[in-house]
Amino acid sequence: MSLVTTLWSMQAAAALTLAVLYAVVWSVDRRNLASLTVCIVAVAMAVTARAEVGMMHAATVTEYGEWTRLLYLPLFFTFVGLVLFVHLFLGTGRLWLLLTIVGTRVVMLLGSFLAHPTFAWREIVGLRHVTFLGEQVALAGPIVLRAWHGLSLASNVLLIVFIADAVLQAWRQGGAEARRKALLVAAGVGLPLTLTILYAQAVLLGALELPFLATPAFLITILVLAVELSRGFLLNRQTREELEDLRSELARAGRVTALGQLASALAHELSQPLSAILRNAEAAELHLNGPSPDLDELREIVADIRKDDQRAGDVIEQMRALIKRRTLQMHPLALSEVVEDVISLVHSDALSRHVALDYVMTPGLPLVSGDRVHLSQVLLNLVINGMDAIQSCPTGNKRVVIEARPEEGRVEVAVTDSGPGVAPGVIDKVFDPFYTTKSGGLGMGLPISRTIIEAHGGRLWAEQARHGSGLTFRFTLTQAQSAVS
Amino acid sequence: MSAPGIVSATGVVYVVDDDASFRKAVTRMLTAAGLSVRSYASGTELLAHLSGDAPAEESGCVLADLCMPGLDGLQLQEACAEAGVALPFVFLTGHGDVPSAVSAMRHGAVDFLDKCSPQRVLLTSLERALERDTSARAARVRRGQLRQRFAALTVREREVLEHVVHGRMNKQIAAALGIHERTVKLHRNAITTKIGVRSVAELTTLTREIGLFAEPRQSCP
Repeated sequence: MSLVTTLWSMQAAAALTLAVLYAVVWSVDRRNLASLTVCIVAVAMAVTARAEVGMMHAATVTEYGEWTRLLYLPLFFTFVGLVLFVHLFLGTGRLWLLLTIVGTRVVMLLGSFLAHPTFAWREIVGLRHVTFLGEQVALAGPIVLRAWHGLSLASNVLLIVFIADAVLQAWRQGGAEARRKALLVAAGVGLPLTLTILYAQAVLLGALELPFLATPAFLITILVLAVELSRGFLLNRQTREELEDLRSELARAGRVTALGQLASALAHELSQPLSAILRNAEAAELHLNGPSPDLDELREIVADIRKDDQRAGDVIEQMRALIKRRTLQMHPLALSEVVEDVISLVHSDALSRHVALDYVMTPGLPLVSGDRVHLSQVLLNLVINGMDAIQSCPTGNKRVVIEARPEEGRVEVAVTDSGPGVAPGVIDKVFDPFYTTKSGGLGMGLPISRTIIEAHGGRLWAEQARHGSGLTFRFTLTQAQSAVS
Repeated sequence: MSAPGIVSATGVVYVVDDDASFRKAVTRMLTAAGLSVRSYASGTELLAHLSGDAPAEESGCVLADLCMPGLDGLQLQEACAEAGVALPFVFLTGHGDVPSAVSAMRHGAVDFLDKCSPQRVLLTSLERALERDTSARAARVRRGQLRQRFAALTVREREVLEHVVHGRMNKQIAAALGIHERTVKLHRNAITTKIGVRSVAELTTLTREIGLFAEPRQSCP
């Protein structure tokens, strides 16, 4: 195969690859019309490459003329596509210039189907052959131009003016992003277009003994747009990572807020073992001050002090785990651990608010796959919400129940309160950010909880409790693959 | 086991706390400090004990956690009052809130302490509570004896007594009851002998102490 055929096939292949990529981008985001125009331009460029090879390998004047005429079709789509791309991509460019260019290009396209050999050429006087890339290629002999050639020239000049103007406008808007895009258009569209037009003019005037070629310069366009596309990919990934960071920050903020609500209860939870330690130490002192200290009693006291110290340490460890910023770490997990964590955190709060806090776990509940701290946060949030909801209920009727039962492949957890519930229309609103019924509430607890559960591949929703007037919050978790707990 | 008794007051401290570990520790410390202690895991247990047995002869006080499942500290205090168990209360709390403290003190709590307050403060508080119960018991016993003595009076003597306490002269009493002045004097002698007092002032004080002929309370403006 000749070098020309090989090289031009590669150019066409590169252009088509880019066309497919941009087509995919457009199919995902249909409003991104700039991607569609790039796709069209790239396809047109592949066809242009084929026409150019056809011209170079033409055996007769007629064949050469036919390929040249065919060239107008891809060139129409290339030029119109580029103009629209610049307009859509930069958001600048004068509309009347754009319409004029499109108008002249339509006229040229229609003309090229009516006139032979082409719209602008009256006659091709013979073919010459020159050596190009080590092989003989056909060149048009002297070309007799029509008066229409002026329109073609004018259209090309307008094209360059339009792009230069659009780039300048974008540059003047300022801002790093606008200027980057302006440079991209100048280098990726303006430069190759200008080169191609000047080159074609030089060939036409006989200044260069070379074939008419458009595709080599447009390789720059393909390169620049490919870089732009990959940059988009990278940015997208970066954005996703930033979002992930933000989500974990938000989750942490949610946990800290929940802890704030629990501060007094936690103080109580800590004061219990601390005061026991104090009393034990005092008792030991009294024994030691006596005439014959009872060593067995003292040993027992020391053992109890150690036990209570461990208890206080556990509370602090739980708080620390909740406050620490951390990403999701999925492990096989027994839900009962999460429930016990949460109950130990809210136990005192529930007591001082006269709330009966119960939990019903189906025996032999399978392990779930999840992050203990994040799930504790969700459950903590739901339980605190439940306790807040029943604030105004009579003392005997304050109940929050946590239930967990297996579903096929999943485990469903429900938190039900005995409160007054909410109006039917409001039940879906509770997950809206900043929706709150509490005076001190931020309205972020439930949205954050939902984000966490969804990150676990589960679902969190609210519904009317099956018994009583209160609300039930349900969430699902995936069962872990390993054995049943 | 002999530990130095550093508390002078006598009586039983009823410890009520749902936290087993704290209950054990505080019982241990109070015992070592020379108090006799009985501990209960809930208010219901204490109530069962107090109402089940014959009313305790010895003085005592309750050291209760404010925050407990079932009966909380304040509810236990009310339940005790309803059951006629007039024990002074000292409350412990992990996180004292003002409304509970006010309510507790209004219902006659001796103190409202932080769970981690120093030993000295806790012991002083319990001492005061026990002393208060001891003197309350003594007062109750004395009032009981006085009531018995007053109960020994005849109906007529009581009528005369009422007039005497209200500061009326023998002549006025005689006129009011339609009896002879001499008879009034005889009744008065019988009264002072039965009650065991010498002066009208003493008699007035005692009748007031047991609430006999209590005048209707004047309402505050």
